Amino acid sequence: MTPAERLERYAELAVRIGANVQRGQIVEVVGLVEHAPLARAVAGAAYRAGARYVDVTYGDAHVRRARIEHAPEDTLSTTPHWLLTREREFARARGAWIGITGDPEPELVGDLPGERVGKTRMVDLAEESMKTVNERLINWTGVAFPNEGWARAVFDEPDVERLWDVVAHAVRLDEPDPVAAWAAHVDRLDRRAAALDALQVDALRFRGPGTDLTVGLLEQSVWCGPRSYTAWGLPHVANMPTEEVFTTPDARRTEGVVRSTRPLVLYGTVVRGLEVRFEDGRIAAVDAGSGADVVRGQLATDERAACLGEVALVDGKSRVADAGVTFFDTLFDENVTSHVAYGSAYAEAVDGDPPEQGFNVSSVHTDFMIGGPEVDVDAVTRAGDVVPLLRDDVWQLSA
Amino acid sequence: MAARGVDERLERYAELAVRVGANVAEGQLVFVRGVDVTHAPLARALARAAYGAGARYVDVSYFDQHARRAMIESAPDDVLDWSPPWTLERYRAMKDERAAVLATTGDPEPELLQDIDGDRVGRARPKEAIEIQMQAFREGANNWSGLAYPTEGWAQQVFGEPDVERLWEAVAFCTRLDEPDPPAAWDEHMSRLERRAAALNELDLDAVRFRGPGTDLTIGLLDRSRFAAARFETAWGRSYVPNVPTEEVFTTPDARRTEGTVRSTQPLALAGQIIRGLELRFEAGRIVDVQAEAGAELVRGQLESDDNAHYLGELALVDGLSRVGQTGVTFFDTLYDENATCHIAYGFGVPQGVEGEPGGDGYNLSTVHTDFMIGGPGVEVDGLTRDGSAVPLLREDVWQLAE
Repeated sequence: MTPAERLERYAELAVRIGANVQRGQIVEVVGLVEHAPLARAVAGAAYRAGARYVDVTYGDAHVRRARIEHAPEDTLSTTPHWLLTREREFARARGAWIGITGDPEPELVGDLPGERVGKTRMVDLAEESMKTVNERLINWTGVAFPNEGWARAVFDEPDVERLWDVVAHAVRLDEPDPVAAWAAHVDRLDRRAAALDALQVDALRFRGPGTDLTVGLLEQSVWCGPRSYTAWGLPHVANMPTEEVFTTPDARRTEGVVRSTRPLVLYGTVVRGLEVRFEDGRIAAVDAGSGADVVRGQLATDERAACLGEVALVDGKSRVADAGVTFFDTLFDENVTSHVAYGSAYAEAVDGDPPEQGFNVSSVHTDFMIGGPEVDVDAVTRAGDVVPLLRDDVWQLSA
Repeated sequence: MAARGVDERLERYAELAVRVGANVAEGQLVFVRGVDVTHAPLARALARAAYGAGARYVDVSYFDQHARRAMIESAPDDVLDWSPPWTLERYRAMKDERAAVLATTGDPEPELLQDIDGDRVGRARPKEAIEIQMQAFREGANNWSGLAYPTEGWAQQVFGEPDVERLWEAVAFCTRLDEPDPPAAWDEHMSRLERRAAALNELDLDAVRFRGPGTDLTIGLLDRSRFAAARFETAWGRSYVPNVPTEEVFTTPDARRTEGTVRSTQPLALAGQIIRGLELRFEAGRIVDVQAEAGAELVRGQLESDDNAHYLGELALVDGLSRVGQTGVTFFDTLYDENATCHIAYGFGVPQGVEGEPGGDGYNLSTVHTDFMIGGPGVEVDGLTRDGSAVPLLREDVWQLAE
């Protein structure tokens, strides 16, 4: 497979399996300027799938850096109204959305004051896009584009080919028939989610070095695999790769301490050794080897950012874990191991309409990694039984 | 403190565009728009310079000609001139909030669309979005400026080799970035062009005549046509310089009174194709025939997309002293090539080229504005005064009026 063919196949996978673009649909492709080759390939693949119009939009982390450095303090969290309108109008058009990750400079703003970095977020836009996702108005996916800067962050050398190999493996592009491989993979994770639902889990417990955390679930919590559905029933796979089963916790019932097991890239800084203490569901203390002030700045922008919105389980068989590297990209790192997210919850992971109480609503959704071979994960069932789920990164249930 | 990896020339260039070009005001919204993805280094420097000048927020929107190519190739016919509704609010904000606007040129692949149906290329213009921008332009809503970014692809097109440094030197020369004090050099330069415009207005011309190989064209002016140069002012009183570089004095002609034939003297890079040897024939102001060695279909497609595009909206005079002309280079970039020599534009009239409000009889309104080059040493330019006498304006590219 030549690099050009590989790019084409990846774009096809994103369009057909990921977003599942429909004939006559509007498609939005969003990436950084450094992602142009994949964005272009996705645009071509989307038109081949019958898209009516493909809108390619590029962001620029350096322009954001300039805002953090120079813009007036009281403007840092504002959303320009045309971006908000854009989000609403696009949702109204029931478009397909394909986001591209793969940060060429994960530490671009590492030298700037963390509090300003955490504050520089378009809060209204983030809320609106959470709403779009939770009302399931668009079919969407996230994919990653290997680039030099990202390869340097992962391997300490700009070996883009090596990164491509790892990415291709993680997204099953290395399979003879990636589409069939995805179908089998999705079915396997769906069975795992069904087995967890059958257990009637009341809470999850994580125990390991620096971690003793209990995450209570809602009565309505359901476990989800990779397949999401729009409000009108169109299936799509929101993350490529994906290795997790996840659910929505009860935002009021998280207790204890947790130490992250992998670094986290947040707004152009790297948060290392994150330690969080929860009381009555809320984050009561944040510590970190680096980047703690960015997390605190982010939490300060939104009252309910400090409660959990997601808990996800990943075992050691994850393809993303095979490479044994840290990706400095949440789309990948969260699929290496179990994780939780503070901030907004996903409506698809509750049965029926999201409940008023315990379903977290926020403009933030930040996943961080808490699993690994040293972290035991148990389910506490509603009947009061303790059922081991993960030991030494090995999945303990039969499915 | 020196920031990491900062290119000092690029920062100075961005400063020039922000301070002298758009003249960004404290607290202003700034849009950096239509930026090719290969222009990211300049867009970033512009964002830094704009925030440095006190901008409240800088919105950078990139443009991808490859994505546009895919659209022209594959999208349904009715999508070609469609404006996605979610993009319109941005253009309205630009206009209504009196933003500063910066745009970059320097096409890394000027012939990217050369092999696709010229008619579709010509029609592929988001009309509703363009109309909002035209309205902003007529209202004098924005202080704006355009500047070029030297890229490998552009250098390849210009020199036949990807010598970006050589292109940078040409750009620095043309934009007076090579001067010890570029803003002062710009002041002096603009004052000279303004004196030239004043001298032309003194003549009270009724028409301008171009004669040369393949060209015999008379362009009638309006009673209220005025020659202007370099420095514009917004409706709310902010001065700015829309083109960096600029070497022209220009006016808005009477759209009804162009007669004769004209042959372009430089290739024209237009919407991803290169038009060569363009020849137009005008009758009663209207383009009635389009011929070209290459790209005629694109020009015809563009004219068909908007009937008023068939009429002239600008006439501009440039002499051989132009720094752009002195480089002897064809840039395949209108911002540069139109400042190397005399040019005209079919499509909308320039508000600054008339006295009073834009509009009215003979003032062309259109969503198109395409400049093309018609001057050079072989082309004589005369002014025709209202009493019928001819005043030589250019001979052998030398300006004939006293300065």
